[in-house]
Amino acid sequence: MTPSLEVRIGSLRLRNPVLVASGIIGYGVEYDRLVDLGALGGIVTKTVTRRARAGNPPPRVVETPSGMLNSIGIENPGLEGFLEVKVPILSQLPCAVIVSVEGEDVREFCELVEGVSGSGVAHAIEVNISCPNVGPHGLRYSTDADMAREVMTAIRPLTTLPLIAKLTPNVTRIAEIAAACESCGADAVSLVNTFVGMAVDSVSRKPILGTVLGGLSGPAIKPLALAKVWEVVQAVDIPVIGMGGITHPRDALEFILVGSTAVQVGTALFANPALPEGCVEEIETYLRRAGVPSVTDLIGALEVPPERGLIRAGRASAPRQRKGIAS
Amino acid sequence: MNLVSCSVVENREVTPGNFLLTLKVPRAFSRPEPGQFVHLRVSPEVEPLLRRPYSLEGFVESGGIRAVRIYYSVVGRGSRSLATQPKGRKLDLIGPLGIGFSPHPRRTPILVAGGRGVAPLLFLGRKLRAKRRPYVFLFGARSARELYGVREVRGGRLHLATDDGSVGFHGSVLTLLQREWESGGHTPLTAEIFTCGPHGLLHEVAEFARTHGIRCQASLEGPMACAVGACRGCPVPLRSGVSGNGGRYPAMCVEGPVMDATIVDWERLP
Repeated sequence: MTPSLEVRIGSLRLRNPVLVASGIIGYGVEYDRLVDLGALGGIVTKTVTRRARAGNPPPRVVETPSGMLNSIGIENPGLEGFLEVKVPILSQLPCAVIVSVEGEDVREFCELVEGVSGSGVAHAIEVNISCPNVGPHGLRYSTDADMAREVMTAIRPLTTLPLIAKLTPNVTRIAEIAAACESCGADAVSLVNTFVGMAVDSVSRKPILGTVLGGLSGPAIKPLALAKVWEVVQAVDIPVIGMGGITHPRDALEFILVGSTAVQVGTALFANPALPEGCVEEIETYLRRAGVPSVTDLIGALEVPPERGLIRAGRASAPRQRKGIAS
Repeated sequence: MNLVSCSVVENREVTPGNFLLTLKVPRAFSRPEPGQFVHLRVSPEVEPLLRRPYSLEGFVESGGIRAVRIYYSVVGRGSRSLATQPKGRKLDLIGPLGIGFSPHPRRTPILVAGGRGVAPLLFLGRKLRAKRRPYVFLFGARSARELYGVREVRGGRLHLATDDGSVGFHGSVLTLLQREWESGGHTPLTAEIFTCGPHGLLHEVAEFARTHGIRCQASLEGPMACAVGACRGCPVPLRSGVSGNGGRYPAMCVEGPVMDATIVDWERLP
């Protein structure tokens, strides 16, 4: 029997739980000769902002031990450019398209959600309230529960598409932010965005990135990301989309076991464009071997001694299962 | 452009600290143009995490075998790892990528190379020779030992410069360029410049070209993550007021690595 890989994020049905994260694959077409998009659950686009952005000065990327620091600064054509140039490209893709948006204020978030929703190309919207590279407002919306609430409350009535709030790990209590988003109508949360980091050149005595600080991704952050997902899973009832350092196909399984309904592949795709497909195959093989009929049975199936689970988690209940099944 | 597996045919130190790597590639790898590059996985291990972009020193096709050649310096983690890959080792690469050199059909090409930047210009020189086009090849390095590939320059007029005076002109290749321009009877309508090397040299060559109104294409170098235009990690700063600038940063990987040297803001390019 072929196991079912289908999961749901709100009303969005994904044929499998493997997505490519925002900022990694552009608008899909850049990678169409290297990644079999038809084998994926979907992609998340480069974040769209209200106005076009040129991005940050170079250098924008630097490799660090088992990781990568970036400070791209959301270079993108803005909402109008997106609608004119990118929507026709995205409409041809053979997978779900989740459009990532970020506003500088609540009004911009509203305009973006309305514009993207009206384009008809998006299967869901990822609300990027967590980019570390576009200060001064970028991180504020997901480091402050009240501000996250303000954004989600404003945009919720504007679309029927699933809204996914993308969270930053650069907070003390990420579960509070996740719960705030849930209470204001988010259909899911995705985490983690990058960890704020820095690299220094001791010879030139200068920071390596043009903006001094950047966001850390790659295998270095996987244990940190798993811990954040674990924390959030126990605080919300909506699906959690887990990411952070997925480098081997089995890493995707780890995020699912911890409680992710879907996962996003990021930085490691640059080295291995076949990784997302590899994750899909790994999940299917794992289910087959374990005799598990559906990937939804694996979501949150981590076996944790109850007393251990209580140490870290804010809530006492065991990790919920079958979160990916629509009620 | 494709992702293809490749295997190390040869990987040896040919000048101090600089290696020549020959990689056998399958037919799915299409014929590259001089100035194009490949995004190479430098090791079968996960570390280093990212691929490394290398412009090609050459492309060899004989007896049904296809191979690319890369001339690289050991400068950091990626190249250190690459230098340890033995003959027979399987790696993979994405390519050919980017935009290469585009010589004008009726102008004399003047190739200006600095150090290991000679690599794509040797490739270009061979292509010009195959088309029986005369060219001028100006090559500067720190010392005679670093003048890789000078015997490869055939069909072109070669002039050398070294910082230590061990061979050729004692000084910068920029001076060779200035002399060539003054004594060679060139005009912006009859000659153009192709250059690759340290960005400091490229800046000087670009300034020379700009003030004399000469068309000048430079091959740039820098860190890249995706190398296919998706991540926007390799921005090239342009001089303010350049037409088509609009404050935007072209991506080195897809709008380069060969670009019009006179529009690049070399002060802001790392």
